[in-house]
Amino acid sequence: MKNSQLYKGSLTTIVMKLLEENGRMYGYEITQKVKEITKGELKITEGALYPALHKLEAEGVLEVEIENVDNRLRKYYKLTEKGTAETVNRLAELEEFIKNMQSIVNPKLA
Amino acid sequence: MKLSAEQIERLYQFTRQHYVEYYDLQTELVDHLANAIEEQWQQNPKLSFENALQIEFKKFGVFGFMDVVEQRQSALNKKYNKLVLNELKTFFSVPKIIGTISAVGIVFYLLRYLQESLFIVQTLFFFLIISYFIGISILMRRNKIRRKQNGKKWLLKEIIYGYSSIAGLINIPIQFAIHIDDAKYNDGFLILVSFLLIILALTEYVMLILIPSKAEDFLKETYPEYKMIQ
Repeated sequence: MKNSQLYKGSLTTIVMKLLEENGRMYGYEITQKVKEITKGELKITEGALYPALHKLEAEGVLEVEIENVDNRLRKYYKLTEKGTAETVNRLAELEEFIKNMQSIVNPKLA
Repeated sequence: MKLSAEQIERLYQFTRQHYVEYYDLQTELVDHLANAIEEQWQQNPKLSFENALQIEFKKFGVFGFMDVVEQRQSALNKKYNKLVLNELKTFFSVPKIIGTISAVGIVFYLLRYLQESLFIVQTLFFFLIISYFIGISILMRRNKIRRKQNGKKWLLKEIIYGYSSIAGLINIPIQFAIHIDDAKYNDGFLILVSFLLIILALTEYVMLILIPSKAEDFLKETYPEYKMIQ
């Protein structure tokens, strides 16, 4: 997808959904996972992903774990209790949004 | 193929060259770059380390790591402000609120007893403002000395020891102290002044003494790697 503006508002929801499914993940893993699921259609940029992760962390939605892997420290993110509850809300919001977009873009289907 | 320890060190150096001062952020970016380079090597084993690094860095865009650094700063500033606010709140809940109200009362009666001129009120405000700046500069200096010993910069630590967005708020009491005049000098006004003076004093206490004294706990909570490195 060329126009990254379209998914920017949903980036945090995408991250939370992935963490809900996979438990804990590190930054690079998230970018790869999104690429894999969308077959390369959607590429999360590094410049957008880390700020989103840091924001969620500061909000208490995510917490971090550090592990020593291959000569380096790896920072894993996972949902906090608050984050797990929040994910349900955000996903519901996103689904509602997608539904609304569909009825605007394609009124016949709605 | 995995990156060697020397190459990891080179990645740390690379992030420093690109204006990432903070060790916490460097670590995350180093792991990201390392993963990406290893991924490239799987596709193309002949690619040199430096070339692979340049390809990955380009993906961060024209501003490089700047955006990530800036946003990390604003996220941790928010976290710090929350820490200050949480500590301040304890002074307005049982049991500490009794002390807070008594302090406001004492200041109020003292000011009323001395109600000759505004001079005392203004002096108190300026005294608190000046002591704030002195306190901050002492904290900053202490942090600088300590950093020289172990060399690593942690963003939240820098915020706690002086680099903070709340500092801008200090302008409010300055403006207040400058713009008050004798005409407003009555009991209601004195209560407001006493209340503001106590809030200001408490905020200073929280920022200059309480939070720095608990800094290690906050740092360990924010950075699980903090214990491993120090």
